[in-house]
Amino acid sequence: MRSAVLGCGGYLPARAVTSEELAGALGTSGAQLTERSGVACRRQAEDGQGSSHLASEAARRALGAAGLAPEGIDLIVFATMTPDICFPGSGCFLQDQLGCRTIGAIDVRAQCAGFLVALATADRFIRAGKAERVLIAGAEVHSAALDFSPRGATVTPYFGDGAGVVVLGAAPEPGVLGTVLHADPDDLERFWCEFPASRHMPARMDVEAFRAGRHFYQLDAERMHPQAERVLPAVIGDALERADVTRDGVALLLVHYLDHRVARRAARAAGVPDERIVATAEAAGHMAAAGIPIALADAVTSGRVGRGDVVCAAAFGGGMAWGAAVVRL
Amino acid sequence: MSELVNSRILGLGHHVPERVVTNADLTRLMDTSEEWIQQRTGIQERRFISEDRGPAELALPAAQEALRAADVKAEDLDLILFGTLSPDVDSPSSASLLQRALGVRGMPVFDVRNQCSGFLYMLAVADSFIRTGGARYVLVVGAEVHSTGIDLSTVGREVAVIFGDGAGAAVLGPEPDSRRGILSTHLHSEGKYAEKLMIETPTHRLHPRLTEAMLDGPGSRIWPRMEGRYVFKHAVTRFTEVIHEALGAHDLTPGDVDLFIPHQANLRISQLVAMGLEFPEEKVFNNIQRYGNTTAASIPIALHEAVSVGRVRPGALVCLAAFGAGFTWAAALLRW
Repeated sequence: MRSAVLGCGGYLPARAVTSEELAGALGTSGAQLTERSGVACRRQAEDGQGSSHLASEAARRALGAAGLAPEGIDLIVFATMTPDICFPGSGCFLQDQLGCRTIGAIDVRAQCAGFLVALATADRFIRAGKAERVLIAGAEVHSAALDFSPRGATVTPYFGDGAGVVVLGAAPEPGVLGTVLHADPDDLERFWCEFPASRHMPARMDVEAFRAGRHFYQLDAERMHPQAERVLPAVIGDALERADVTRDGVALLLVHYLDHRVARRAARAAGVPDERIVATAEAAGHMAAAGIPIALADAVTSGRVGRGDVVCAAAFGGGMAWGAAVVRL
Repeated sequence: MSELVNSRILGLGHHVPERVVTNADLTRLMDTSEEWIQQRTGIQERRFISEDRGPAELALPAAQEALRAADVKAEDLDLILFGTLSPDVDSPSSASLLQRALGVRGMPVFDVRNQCSGFLYMLAVADSFIRTGGARYVLVVGAEVHSTGIDLSTVGREVAVIFGDGAGAAVLGPEPDSRRGILSTHLHSEGKYAEKLMIETPTHRLHPRLTEAMLDGPGSRIWPRMEGRYVFKHAVTRFTEVIHEALGAHDLTPGDVDLFIPHQANLRISQLVAMGLEFPEEKVFNNIQRYGNTTAASIPIALHEAVSVGRVRPGALVCLAAFGAGFTWAAALLRW
């Protein structure tokens, strides 16, 4: 048995935040923030809206597209780096909000590669005969974790909130043609967030660490970019080769990295023409686990890709984790 | 289809910090008594870190021991899975930190955040990858440092007396004999009860996710909260139900089980479940008396100890089951 995409859906919270609106708090100009991050406008969840709530909206759209009721799902795989609460995981909240049966709800953490990890996991469950219809959610509420002070000026403008869902089902012919995943921890401090840190005695979070802002993302984008430009073309080539798909056979390449300009350059270097590339952060900023399924849902909904088309999705980010997946819709 | 291959645990390891914290030690920090803790939970002592060490650091010796026992080199791993609810840092995953500590790179790593059911959820993930040829050798680690995430004052006592620090690891690989290894895994969740056992903050439902006020004083929202009676009642029901489900999938009965290892949540829960299923005492392994509840680490620690003392012989049917925060619950059947 193999797995295939039955439906997908995306959701962005209504509230749009422009770089001009951020400029005052971040102590710089809107133009400067847009120039630095490449993002002019991003969305922000309301208080009370966690990752599971955004994922619920996306899931309803994906289930609708798949023609399935929540009771028809037999596994949830939820990827996020911004869960609703510290624990339990967001998958449990989603199970309840959708009214699924008491199915398994796996919460995975792999930062910007989270969706690809969740997709590979769901694909393996289906191929192993452990599940028939899996709901894969990638959702982020980065805005709750960002530093809206001048200290955050080089980090905050990159990120947005949103969720995407793909429903994967058992199929005689493969839809998911291949997944390739990697990680290299050597330089993980280039994008990390130290606190809360259970390794810190006597308490994993204290006022001192809080006042020092050690619970905010630390990002060295300038040093991540070259790594992204190196690994993304290689992993795209590797995934296509393993899936036995040529560059010409790719209808759409979704490339997922913090800075969409770097992402697009890396995708071009992989030998895919510009008009078939979507850099996921272009539309509404970077959303770690959510960018790929949102962009996929957009492409399907707008008719840019349809049944039979081959889509490749590649990601690089925190961990440092990266990978690529090749899917025939 | 015949292309599927079973997976099997090839090696196990565990590691706990040296510092032993007895119930008497806890009575000096909070208003409680040795008898109360012992009677309610069965716990006599637990281990706490005594210097800054995270779950990935506790996991390293456990992982190395499991790799040695499996005769697998760290660089030959195809996947590293890390289960924890007390990660070393906020991001990236503790799996990344363990990958660095092991000195390897290239293979994918990720965290599975399924609390007390985490180890069994990871077994299901690892089994899926191995069965379908997506990985050959998978390292599965459950590790926790709870001692820096609990309120050791009287306010937090109901939760604080339960938890301990520790790490357990298993290396899985393919098993050509379809009658051996992991026979099946069974995963469940019910998010309706997510807030019956939780740590709320940092919470990405609020802007910002963490404030100084949240950190301040007793009853702070950074400490775990538990409605103990709720958890206890659901645990007994769901443990029993999922064990029946697992056995039923193979036309087996509780009488066929050679060893039952429950997640070490509370000795009273384990005893009630074992009694209900009529597992005799010699077929149940508990070590919560010495380690407390180490959530994702408890099953691999217990399984390793059981194997080490000869309680698991080749051919034995081993039943693993867990219940905890989420609520999530799960079972796995293994033919040793």
